[in-house]
Amino acid sequence: MLHKAIGRILKIGTLVSTWGLIATVLLQIICRFTPIDTPSWTEEASRLFFIYAMSFAAGLAMKNEFYVHLSMFYDRFPSRFKELLSLVIPILSLVLFVFMGIYSVQLIMLGLAEKSPSMGLNMGFAFLSMFIMATSVVYYLAKKIARDFKNRKS
Amino acid sequence: MIWILVLVFVVCLVLRFPIAFALGLACLSYVLAKGIPLIIVPMKMYSGIDVFVLLSVPGFIMAGNLMNHGGLTERIIRFCNHLLGHIRGGLALVNIGASMLFAGISGTAISDTASMGSIMIPAMKKEGYDMGFSCAVTAASSTVGPIIPPSVPMIIAATLSGLSVGKLFLAGALPGLLLGVGLLVAAYTISKRRNYPKHPRSSLGQILRGFVDTFWSLLMTFIILYGIIGGIFTPTEASIIAVVYALIIGKLVYRRLSFKSIQVIFLDSMKTSASLMVLVGFANLFGYILITEQIPQAISNEILGFTTNKYVVLLLINMLLIIVGTFMETIAALLILFPILLKVALAVDVDPIHFAVIAVLNLIIGLTTPPVGVCLFVASSIGKISIGEVSKAGFPFLMVSLLVLVLVTLFPWFSLALPNLFME
Repeated sequence: MLHKAIGRILKIGTLVSTWGLIATVLLQIICRFTPIDTPSWTEEASRLFFIYAMSFAAGLAMKNEFYVHLSMFYDRFPSRFKELLSLVIPILSLVLFVFMGIYSVQLIMLGLAEKSPSMGLNMGFAFLSMFIMATSVVYYLAKKIARDFKNRKS
Repeated sequence: MIWILVLVFVVCLVLRFPIAFALGLACLSYVLAKGIPLIIVPMKMYSGIDVFVLLSVPGFIMAGNLMNHGGLTERIIRFCNHLLGHIRGGLALVNIGASMLFAGISGTAISDTASMGSIMIPAMKKEGYDMGFSCAVTAASSTVGPIIPPSVPMIIAATLSGLSVGKLFLAGALPGLLLGVGLLVAAYTISKRRNYPKHPRSSLGQILRGFVDTFWSLLMTFIILYGIIGGIFTPTEASIIAVVYALIIGKLVYRRLSFKSIQVIFLDSMKTSASLMVLVGFANLFGYILITEQIPQAISNEILGFTTNKYVVLLLINMLLIIVGTFMETIAALLILFPILLKVALAVDVDPIHFAVIAVLNLIIGLTTPPVGVCLFVASSIGKISIGEVSKAGFPFLMVSLLVLVLVTLFPWFSLALPNLFME
C-alpha cells in the first residue's frame, strides 16, 4: 500500500513538474512574440520545475534501473563474488544517498533564510528537491536490498 | 588525498557500480577523508543541475521519444528505402541514411542502435545479408546521431565550457555528414564485392509520398536549428518547442499518441534525464574537487612538459578519449574528462569549439570500438551473434570513423565553417 503510494507520488510529482516546465518555457516564448512583457520569474520557475522533475524521477530511475554501469570486468568475476557484489553495491550506494539526504536537511535549513532573486521564493523549498531525490533513491535501494536478502534466504 | 578520489572511483567502476554512484562515492570518500563539511554533497548536486541550458536535455529526449512513438522510425526507413534501396546493398545504405535522418530527432547512439537495429537487422537477415555485417552497419551508423544536431553530448560540452550550444550544434553538422557519407561509401563497396541484393527503383511518386510521410518529423530538425541559429529561441526553448511540435504531430498528423501514452513517454524520458542529471550533479562535485586540488593544471603541465606540439597533444588526447569512450558512457566520460582536456587543448591554441567536436567524435567512435563498445553489444544482442563477429565485420567502418576523426582533428574547417558562417 505504502509502496504503491510512494511510487504514485513520485510519478505525479514528475509529471506535474514536467508539464510545469513545458508551460513556463512556453509562456516565456509566447510573451516574447506578443506585446505582453515576459514575466521575470519564468526562467527561475522553469529551472525549479526541472530540478523537481529530476528529483522525483531519480527514485523512479533507480527502481527501473536506468543508471548506466560498466560491465566489462564484471562478466569475468566468479559467480560467488558477483553474488556478494549484488549486495555490496546497493548497500554502499544507500550509504551515499543517506549522507546526501541527511545533509540536504542542513542545506534546507540554510536556505530558509534566503529568498530567490526573481520569484522571492524561499530557497529552503528549492533545496527540498535534493532531499526528495536522496530519499526516493534510498527508498528504492532499501527495497532492493530487502528483496535480495529475502531471495538469498529462500 | 587525491588518490582516494581516483582509487575509489576506479574500484567502484570496475565492480559495476552505476557510474553516477561511483563518482558520488569517490567524492564522499574524499570529502570524509579531507574533513570537508558534508553539506557540500547536496549543495554541489543542486548547483550542478541548476543550469538553464540543461533544461534542453529532457526536452530533446522527450521530443525524440514522442516522435519515435508516433511511428517515425518506420517512416524514415521507408523513405530511405525509396531513395537508396535500388543501389547494390540497398538495405545497408538505408540503415545508414535512416540513422542520419533519425539523428536529427534522437540525439543518442544507443537508442538509435536499438530502435533502428530491431527493424533493420531482421530485414537485412531476411534478404541474405551476413549477420555480422548487418549488426556492424547498424552499430556504426548509430554513431552519427550524437554528432549531428540536436546532440545531447554537445549540450553537456556547452554546459561544461560555457560555449554556445547553437555554435556546437552547427559545428557537429559537417563532421556528422562526413561520417555518414564515409560509412555509406564503405557499405556500398563491401556490398558490391559481396553482391548483396538491391531493390527495384522506386517511382518519383513513391519517393514524393515517402517524403510527405516523413516531412513533418524532418521539419522538426529544421525548426530546432533555424530557431537556435536565427536567435529566435534559446536551446532550452527550442527543445520545448520540439516537444510541443512532436505532441501536435503525434496526436493530429500521425494519430498514434493518446493522453496515457504521452504520460508514459514523459515518465520514461524524465527517468532517462534524471539518471543523466544525477551523473551531472556528482560530476560537478568531482570537478570541484579536481579544481581545488589543481589537477587540470597538473595534467596540463605534465602533457605540455612532454610536448607543446599541437598535433602531438591532439593525438595523445584522441588516443585517451577513444580508449575511455570504448568502455565508458559518452556523457560520463565527457563530464569527467572534457574540462581537464579543454585546458590542455586551449594551451596549444586549439579552438574550443573545434576541440568539443573532436572530444564528442572520439567518445562516440569508442561506442563501436572493440572489445567493449556499447553499440556493438546492443547490435550483437539484437542479431544474437557474438560481439567478436560484429567487431570483425565492423572493422572497415571503424577505419572510416577513424579517418573522419583524423580529418576533423587536422582540419578545423570541418568544425568551424558552419558556426563562422551563420553565427559570427
